[in-house]
Amino acid sequence: MSDRSNRRGIVAGAVFALTLVCLPAVWAQGRGQRGAPSPTANLPFDAHDLTGIWRFSGPLAPPNVPPMTPAGKARFDANIPGLGGPEGKNKPLGNDPMMFCDPLGYPRVLTFGAYPMEMVQLPGRIVQFFDFFYVHRTIWMDGRKLPEDPEPTWYGYAIGHWDGDTLVVESNGYNGRAWFANGGYPYSEEAKLVERYKRADHDTISITMTLTDPAIYTKPWEIGPATLRWAPKEVMREDVCAPSDEKKYLEEIREPAGRKPGQ
Amino acid sequence: MKSTFAKFVIAAAGLLGLSAPVFGHHGSRISYDLTKTVTLTGTVTEFQWQNPHVYIKFDVTDKDGKVTNWGAETYSPVVMTRDGWGRRTLKTGDKVTITVWPSKIGTPLGFLAKVVHPDGHVTDLSGGPGPE
Repeated sequence: MSDRSNRRGIVAGAVFALTLVCLPAVWAQGRGQRGAPSPTANLPFDAHDLTGIWRFSGPLAPPNVPPMTPAGKARFDANIPGLGGPEGKNKPLGNDPMMFCDPLGYPRVLTFGAYPMEMVQLPGRIVQFFDFFYVHRTIWMDGRKLPEDPEPTWYGYAIGHWDGDTLVVESNGYNGRAWFANGGYPYSEEAKLVERYKRADHDTISITMTLTDPAIYTKPWEIGPATLRWAPKEVMREDVCAPSDEKKYLEEIREPAGRKPGQ
Repeated sequence: MKSTFAKFVIAAAGLLGLSAPVFGHHGSRISYDLTKTVTLTGTVTEFQWQNPHVYIKFDVTDKDGKVTNWGAETYSPVVMTRDGWGRRTLKTGDKVTITVWPSKIGTPLGFLAKVVHPDGHVTDLSGGPGPE
């Protein structure tokens, strides 16, 4: 490889890294939010109470992707992101299931920081409401076990418990039809996800995840830490994906902007 | 007012040839040339307040009298609500001046960077979507 193409590769890599690392944070923070310390960060809080409206901030396509199995690689190669992903993999349009209003699945739905997530703690369960796609997920806190042979669903089956001040959420039962993450990263019905939520201060929850999915990845995928930022000015709105609206937008905007007729 | 950090990131992204709308999503942003903008004055023919992205269709008449119908897409209604937009923000017949990052393949479509509304006020999205 020539110096020039090397350099181009480095610059492209830097751009990509910068985009992944910084921009979602800016998005999540919004204008004028970052820079000054939050006046509420030092308020007292209950480490076991995650109730509130939060916005995710973290890499959209998580780094540290483990090597994939041949089957995993084949699925990854077939997934073409249209909104940004691994360098060289983007194409206008692509085949992101989001573009057809297929469910986003968990945890991908969490990672769109433009849209808030509300956590509500109830006796025996925690409910997460997602503004994006207007869906929810239940985390069972009543001591039950994960099902051994769950009926696979887009959002899986989740149980949680407190380990000290960390909420540990284990989930399985994913149908593997969604993308695990932006960028076209797949997961399968074998996937098991462990999430750890820890309230770092009044305004911040730190999240790490471990995805174990031997059908797709040759070793567990350690993700994070990402952040949930308290969003007191937010309200939960309705961001639905309506197939008829999506079709109109596809025909009038996305398709003609991205592809010449006949191509 | 943008924070210093946001300015830095946007400036850095700009220097690296990656100016906004880096936040665009739903499979459209990579269709647009983010290195240049086009500014057009015209008349709104349709204001589509819908998911996944709000868009404006508008007629632009060139110096020879030829009319081209342009389209400018922006963020989702939920995100644009934070900028104070709603279903009545624009309507058919409104005179507007619109700046877009244009389609890479030259179709009369773009991603919205700025709108000068009929009353003269401006929505500037060149640094990404608006406040919390």
